[in-house]
Amino acid sequence: MKSFLKNIWHHRAHVIMALPAFLILLFFSYVPMSGLVMAFKSYDYSAGIWGSPWNGIENFKFLLASKATFINMTKNTLMYYFIFTILGTFLNVVLAIAIDQFVFKKCAKVMQTIMIIPVFISYAAVQFIVYAFISTDTGILNNALGMNVRFYSTASLWPIILTVVKMWNSVGYGSVLYMSVLAGIDTELYEAAEIDGANKWRQIWHITLPALIPMITVMLLLSVGNIMRSDTGLFYQVTRNSGSLYSTTQVIDSYVLNAIFKNSNFGFVAATTLFQSVIGLLLMLFANGVVRKISPENSLF
Amino acid sequence: MSAKKKMKNADLVPSRRERKGVGQYILGFFLLLYTLFCALPILLVFIAAFTDEKAITQNGFSFFPEKWSLAGMNSVLRYGSQLLTSYGVTIFVTVVGTLLGLMVMAMFAYAISRKGFRLSKFLSVYLLIPMLFNGGQLSCYVIFTSYYHMKDNVLLLILPLCVTTMNVIILRTYIVNSIPLELMEAAKIDGAGEYRTFFQITLPLLKPSMAAVGFMMATTYWNDWQNALLYITSDDKKPLQLLLVNIQKSIEFLLNNANVPASARAAMGGNIPQYSATMATVIVVIGPIMVIYPFFQKYFIKGLTVGSVKG
Repeated sequence: MKSFLKNIWHHRAHVIMALPAFLILLFFSYVPMSGLVMAFKSYDYSAGIWGSPWNGIENFKFLLASKATFINMTKNTLMYYFIFTILGTFLNVVLAIAIDQFVFKKCAKVMQTIMIIPVFISYAAVQFIVYAFISTDTGILNNALGMNVRFYSTASLWPIILTVVKMWNSVGYGSVLYMSVLAGIDTELYEAAEIDGANKWRQIWHITLPALIPMITVMLLLSVGNIMRSDTGLFYQVTRNSGSLYSTTQVIDSYVLNAIFKNSNFGFVAATTLFQSVIGLLLMLFANGVVRKISPENSLF
Repeated sequence: MSAKKKMKNADLVPSRRERKGVGQYILGFFLLLYTLFCALPILLVFIAAFTDEKAITQNGFSFFPEKWSLAGMNSVLRYGSQLLTSYGVTIFVTVVGTLLGLMVMAMFAYAISRKGFRLSKFLSVYLLIPMLFNGGQLSCYVIFTSYYHMKDNVLLLILPLCVTTMNVIILRTYIVNSIPLELMEAAKIDGAGEYRTFFQITLPLLKPSMAAVGFMMATTYWNDWQNALLYITSDDKKPLQLLLVNIQKSIEFLLNNANVPASARAAMGGNIPQYSATMATVIVVIGPIMVIYPFFQKYFIKGLTVGSVKG
């Protein structure tokens, strides 16, 4: 104990350096965690989090009882996670290989710069762009195709719309990581394969793809921890938070945001959040464990 | 890296990388298509902003408008002082948040990477937990507003986004892998204290990594609408993104309330948002990032790569 204190005193400068970030995390990450006890309380605004009476697992019972909302948003959250992850990874890899194979490097560089731009546009701005394309009277799509589709009240179309927007937003950026792996492949491998008579496709299949597999695995596993989280902006802004679309666009995060504004039953919402956080935590621990087994240098902890 | 590759290829003619067959042009065509898919929606914003309002309401949005006009851009100026204020708020939040975040995270990363510092293990775990588990928006909202009483406080736009686990890991990885320990030890032998070693030796060497992290942080701050929507109520603290959200909300309001009396519409004066003006506002909001981004591209690409590898 004494040597420990001595060590701390010796490193007092480091303690002081770590302090500001420590405090910011304490007040803006750790203290809010305690707010989750609301999940076990019947929250009363005037009594505050700690003063509100306990109600055991009432909120969770309510959660399971209100099947329609709860199941719908959980289903949507999972559905979009799978679509975005599978399609996104596939497109990231395809784009990375395509750019890597393209011999006009200057041209590829300019194209890549343009492809990355969308990720830097906030969804608050993106929704106006989407509106320009799909609004009923003035939208480009309806005009070009001579149709009169009311996109903002047709829920069944939104999985497609949101997927297109999400891919537009993230694929260019997502491919950067895979490109850095491709840049590290020894060109002699390709040359040897070519001498052995392998064509382009076979080279990609036997050299490029295997080189990408570790990174793909790691990225997929690490994304598992976010299975219950969504890009709130996409679901809240781009859909204009339109109630008639909720059946296909309401995800847990956008539901929580709405609940805060509507001042609805906070205990119930906290129960949802707790459910979301715990599932996320378990999956993250699981995924990290797997990554640590297969590729220790890429595990998070 | 690439220079070395070229040297290697020089003796093999024609090399794999230099052969320009038909396949390359087909590939180029598809890449061009995807580039257009990314670029055209953004181009549309610029075109719509300079399209005559009547052309939009009658014929809809178009890449080839019948009539151009500067009215949209001009009417953005009607938001005038509010736009200026919002710009000020956003710039303040972005600059202060990024600089503060970089400083505290670099110090933290430096501290936990010191050998022999017995608290570093604890601090690493302390850093990791918020990535695994968090209270969620609702808890944050209740704690920040009811307990910290920080509703409508600009600090809430800055502090919650200030320290992120991933960014600290990126900085720490860079310190451990790319800054020679000998350099810092030499400084200490020459009599520099801990602080001086950090500020005069480590910090300058940390620049490439800080550029990457800093750029990512800056875009996060610039694009944050959620915290603003949750916490900011007064006009003089509204950042640009909240302005966009509000414009959308007022459009919605007018659309859904066709029977808003004429007098009320008149009272809103020039504030009834029009398509071209809205698009012009979007340009004003996203413009700065699009101008700055190409200069930082190489840094954040490097940062992304480093971030994928644990320290």
